[in-house]
Amino acid sequence: MWAINLKVAAVVLGTLALYTVIANSIPQLASEVPRTLTLGADVTPEQLVQAGEQLYTGSGGCTTCHGLGTRAPNLVTDDRGAGPIGARCGARVAGKSCKQYLHESLVQPGAFVVPGFEPIMPDLSRTLSPQQIWALVAFLESRGGTVDVSAADIPATAGNGKRETGNVGALAGGSSDPMTLFRAGGCVGCHTLGAEGGAVGPDLSHIGARQSASQIRESILTPDARIAPGYERFAGIMPKTLGDQMTATQLEALVRFLASRK
Amino acid sequence: MSDVSLLLQAAADSVPAYREFPMIGARAAVWIAAEVHLMFAAFVLGVPMFAVVTEAIGIFTRDERYDRLSKEFTRLLLVAYSATAIWGAVLTFFLITLYPRFWTYLSGVFGVSMWWYVGLFFLESFTLYLYYYGWERWKRGGAKWAHWGLGLLLNVWGTIVMFIANAWLTYMMSPPRDVTPATVPTTIKLWHAIANATWMPINIHRLIANVVFGGAIVGAYASYRFLAARSDEERAHYDWMGYVGNFIAIAALIVLPFAGYWLGREIYEYDQSMGITMMGGFMSWLWVIQAFLIAVLFLAGNYYLWIGMGRIPGAERYRPYTKWLLIVLVLGAIVWGTPHTMIADSRELAAMGGSHHPFLGVLGVMSAKNTAVNLMILATFLSFLLYRRANKRLAVPWARAGTRIQGAMFGAAAAVVLYFGIRGYFVEAIVRIGYSVYQVGAVLACILFVTVLDVVMARGAQAIGAIRWGQMPPRSQYALFILAVTFTWLMGLMGFARSGIRQHWHVWQVMPDTSTSAATPALGYAAIMISVCVLIFLGLAGFIFWLGGLAEKSTFVPAGGRGGGGAAHVGH
Repeated sequence: MWAINLKVAAVVLGTLALYTVIANSIPQLASEVPRTLTLGADVTPEQLVQAGEQLYTGSGGCTTCHGLGTRAPNLVTDDRGAGPIGARCGARVAGKSCKQYLHESLVQPGAFVVPGFEPIMPDLSRTLSPQQIWALVAFLESRGGTVDVSAADIPATAGNGKRETGNVGALAGGSSDPMTLFRAGGCVGCHTLGAEGGAVGPDLSHIGARQSASQIRESILTPDARIAPGYERFAGIMPKTLGDQMTATQLEALVRFLASRK
Repeated sequence: MSDVSLLLQAAADSVPAYREFPMIGARAAVWIAAEVHLMFAAFVLGVPMFAVVTEAIGIFTRDERYDRLSKEFTRLLLVAYSATAIWGAVLTFFLITLYPRFWTYLSGVFGVSMWWYVGLFFLESFTLYLYYYGWERWKRGGAKWAHWGLGLLLNVWGTIVMFIANAWLTYMMSPPRDVTPATVPTTIKLWHAIANATWMPINIHRLIANVVFGGAIVGAYASYRFLAARSDEERAHYDWMGYVGNFIAIAALIVLPFAGYWLGREIYEYDQSMGITMMGGFMSWLWVIQAFLIAVLFLAGNYYLWIGMGRIPGAERYRPYTKWLLIVLVLGAIVWGTPHTMIADSRELAAMGGSHHPFLGVLGVMSAKNTAVNLMILATFLSFLLYRRANKRLAVPWARAGTRIQGAMFGAAAAVVLYFGIRGYFVEAIVRIGYSVYQVGAVLACILFVTVLDVVMARGAQAIGAIRWGQMPPRSQYALFILAVTFTWLMGLMGFARSGIRQHWHVWQVMPDTSTSAATPALGYAAIMISVCVLIFLGLAGFIFWLGGLAEKSTFVPAGGRGGGGAAHVGH
């Protein structure tokens, strides 16, 4: 009898262990809560863009549909030859500025649906605050256009001047070890460096032989200033927030390290 | 406002929104209580459905074994019922003490229905006691029909109770669109809140899923008793009981994807973003795991049937077909498990050369998946048909023509499924979605007409030999255990999917979750929680069944009963 009990227990526990291990072996994606965004009267367009980008790529959930090319138009990269959203939003609906069009798209998505797509866009005013929506508008404008969202657009309830623009200097816990920064900054996800890294962006194993320190610095702070030949289709993917995430010491340590890779 | 009112209001405002639970946290505590309660509830709602059906078969055929089987099913219910109530109370107290503000909101909307729930629970409990303890007293003549009516009533009460509880949780998912964060809960009309967008799809889905789950647990119970049996007769009885449990589970499982499809469609219609979060957002990997579990269910269920054919004289005629059925099932499972629109990081995007894999992406779309699952259902139905026919020599003169017609029906259904599956690649999404209706319709029509034809063809059929109940290798019984564990785990996984798509909302876009654990965890953490819940449930269920065995001996009918009983049993 004990033998049967043990066998049954082994089958049950083995089956449970198998399912648990499989579920822990796949990519682990959690759904984060959008952080409260408070912007002061002195908020700058850069701060808005940065906050909008965090929402766009994170808890706003926009990338679930936008960027796949099938469910919804590409926004941050070219869409069917019309350029990114900032370049085309002003001409989308006659009589509406880029800012008006984008804001309407977020809070009244059914007002204009891009031909060829289904009206699946949710009304974001149900899930995001007005500050967050204006930050998204600023970020979308920045993709190929001019940011004209300002503090004047944001409702008076905007808050007490605190802002959510990432933790300056908090990257890798303040470490200035270049490889630690390379990994913590997410560079390793797209760039190969030695034996590790992805293949979305250029291989940086010998970047020092091709670019000077100042060019490398520019590429970190303003990634789209110059796109390496052959990587045009990935333009816009590299985050522009690295400069805000690192201290000057960290940035320079990373730049010097990359420049030495010849 | 009077002073007293002000004081009351101040007291209400001073209640914290959340409290903590030691060690595991409030969310994990509620998660475990809700999930284990749900598992017991599913069992005590599913088993009475087929207990009543089995009792009716016993009345009509006057075969004592069905009546005894029905009573044994019901005996399992008695203690499980107490466990359901205990875990329901644990869940309620946890919600009241750990999520007081949310509980105040929910009771503000549904307070009256909570009173109905309690009243119906009383009725259900006492109907169950009458049903079980009156079994021997109301055994003959008209009294037997009255007893059967009690079983029916038990199902009616249970179903209403479930529908009420479903209203609460579906309201959290899909509150009516005119309800906003500013709406005072007590001003929401009760029926308006109950009849929300996902209420009826969840009702139907759970109704069927409970039958599947009940069948699987009964199958596991029978398999344990089979392994522990001390006599051939007892082994034969529990072999038969395990077969019945598995048959019920797999038969209901075949219908379940259609109900799930309806639920998914309603979720999309209610809120596209919720549907996309579910299928293509952070939960997209969950469906790969689900496909794996369903593949295990189909393979284990069919494997059990194929082994079972070894105890049926005449089944050797159909053995060559099983390898082809296995190929269809494995290929179907592979297609169904193919990921399509996943959230991928840049390295994965680069490796794929785009957002979809150039080759596998084609197999990951719904056209391919619907085709795969419909063909898997057809293959499983064919397994059942072969099993059913295994020991029969058909006597009707048109048997050969009838079999050909059945084959043609299978061929036609498969052709319809394949045609619309392929055509789906060349049409707009909105048209493609409609194609699944034709595919499902063809499969259901095939199942219906082939079954009717088979019943008519079996009239006057000769038995090649009696089924040798009890002569099953032990590995077949472990397949039943795997089925039960997988069904239970799948229930936990789908519960996580349904609840998780609300993300950081107690009530979708009406009442946000502002607790420290508002973020929806990743699948790895969820899997650990699900496994813990399944372990608690199965441990307690095993203990409960052991208790049931202490009180009463097995109900199997020894040889000599009507129809031969025991090893000579030939019924399906």
